[in-house]
Amino acid sequence: MIALESVSKRYGSKTVIHDVSFDVGQGEIVGFLGPNGAGKTTTMRMIAGYTTPTSGRITVAGLDMATQNEAAARKIGYLPEHPPLYDVLDVSTFLRFVAKVKGVPPREIPSDLERVIAACHLEAVFRSEIFKLSKGYRQRLGLAQALLGKPDVLLLDEPTAGLDPGQIQETREVIRAFGENHAVLLSTHILHEVTLICQRVAIIDRGRLLAIDTPSGLQTASEQTNSVMLEATAPADPLREELLSIEGVNAVRVQSIPGRLSTHMVECQVNARDGIEARIARAVASRWELHRLERQQPTLENVFLRYVRAGAGAREAT
Amino acid sequence: MRGLFAIYQKELITYFRSPIAYFVVSVFLLGTGYFFLYNVFMTGIGTMNETLQNMGVLLLIVVPVITMRLFSGEYTGRTIELLMTLPLKPWQIVLGKYLGATTILLLMTLATCIDLIPLYLYGTPETKTILSGYIGFVLLGMACLAIGQFFSALTQNQIVAALITVPVLLVFWFVGHLQSFQSSYALRDLFGYLSFAQHFADFIRGLVRSEAVMFYLMISAIALTLNTSYLQWRR
Repeated sequence: MIALESVSKRYGSKTVIHDVSFDVGQGEIVGFLGPNGAGKTTTMRMIAGYTTPTSGRITVAGLDMATQNEAAARKIGYLPEHPPLYDVLDVSTFLRFVAKVKGVPPREIPSDLERVIAACHLEAVFRSEIFKLSKGYRQRLGLAQALLGKPDVLLLDEPTAGLDPGQIQETREVIRAFGENHAVLLSTHILHEVTLICQRVAIIDRGRLLAIDTPSGLQTASEQTNSVMLEATAPADPLREELLSIEGVNAVRVQSIPGRLSTHMVECQVNARDGIEARIARAVASRWELHRLERQQPTLENVFLRYVRAGAGAREAT
Repeated sequence: MRGLFAIYQKELITYFRSPIAYFVVSVFLLGTGYFFLYNVFMTGIGTMNETLQNMGVLLLIVVPVITMRLFSGEYTGRTIELLMTLPLKPWQIVLGKYLGATTILLLMTLATCIDLIPLYLYGTPETKTILSGYIGFVLLGMACLAIGQFFSALTQNQIVAALITVPVLLVFWFVGHLQSFQSSYALRDLFGYLSFAQHFADFIRGLVRSEAVMFYLMISAIALTLNTSYLQWRR
């Protein structure tokens, strides 16, 4: 339903998207994962037709975005990064306006409005002016306008930003239900989010597509970036040797703490196995004084580094 | 066409749900009322000629306030991303907005007709001359609106949009005065042709010249085309 073929975007001499190709099929939810500034929003905007690629081709539902922009726009529901809402209008007037522009037949507008209002839980604010809405409601109104006109393709740029945990859960349900028989491309910088609702994940960094992986592949990559931080009063070299002798510890980095004699800060790269913290704690505390120990959550940056290294390794091998 | 009409409706609702329309129409009517009283009751001459002339000058100040938010507001509210990704052609967006602004102009013009009541009660004005003056006023207003809307598309800042529009409209208004400084006939003709004030003066005198009608419509068409091309280019 969505296909990108060697798409690049340049602003002057600066290339922000480098030769990106991927596709999203019907009945598929694809996560578009990358840190801030990776090029997610620019790519989404090109697919939605807000900007045009410098080179390459984008098709949506078989329609070329360069030549059949208006016809393709009827197939797309798009929620930009900042929900585009008219503050002076009220919720119902705004949704009616979008429905009319999307070409929903006049007699079907009330039922279409009802459908999206129910899906996005906007009943309580139907008559409210938009400038009075909370951030969560604004985000959901943005999603509601994207769902109007029964689009074939949904492009969602960070749809759960600004929502509370309950609303995040509800929004994910809406996306999941929609994705059962439509195509959804969902951008986010939250690792956990894509593993929950996406069938595939496209990973982008600095305008380059690093990999297209499954959520389980991503899960494995993130688990391999686990680390345990600890602070102990112990001589550096014996501490390092002791830690490396523990099964599951792959690498150790010892740093001294300025002003605190023989106390060290240690970062251990570990396999994601249960109980590794306990083994490290036992080993250190039995010989020295252990002050603090905590497991670090895998960060997106570390996961990216793994994909970047994997990509570089693959290139060297060929 | 439904898209264009939806944009037009949205523009009108936006005008009347913000203080802009009320403020602009009030200021314009207060100004017009003052000039009417001054021109008719102080001089005792029962025509709309002077008042229409003053209305034309007032328009140069009022139009930038009407047009400044048309696109700048869409940029700052990030709603331009919605408009440009909905199934709309850029010309539909431009024309829908322009028709919205023109409707405000027509309402404003209609409201000044209240001045005609005392004129007809206590004098014998020439209806055809007044009608011709009003046609000129609306055409002048439409040209000014198209120019203002184009400058609004060029900047994110509404104040900047208004501050560019005012001097550009003033140049079009006063360019005719440059005629007296030119020895070249070609330049004199050009400055005369470009003058908003000179074409408008013909309408006020009761002359509806097709050349003047075409001039205002052409200025509007050029500004709207540039506006559409700019939106297309921004992609």
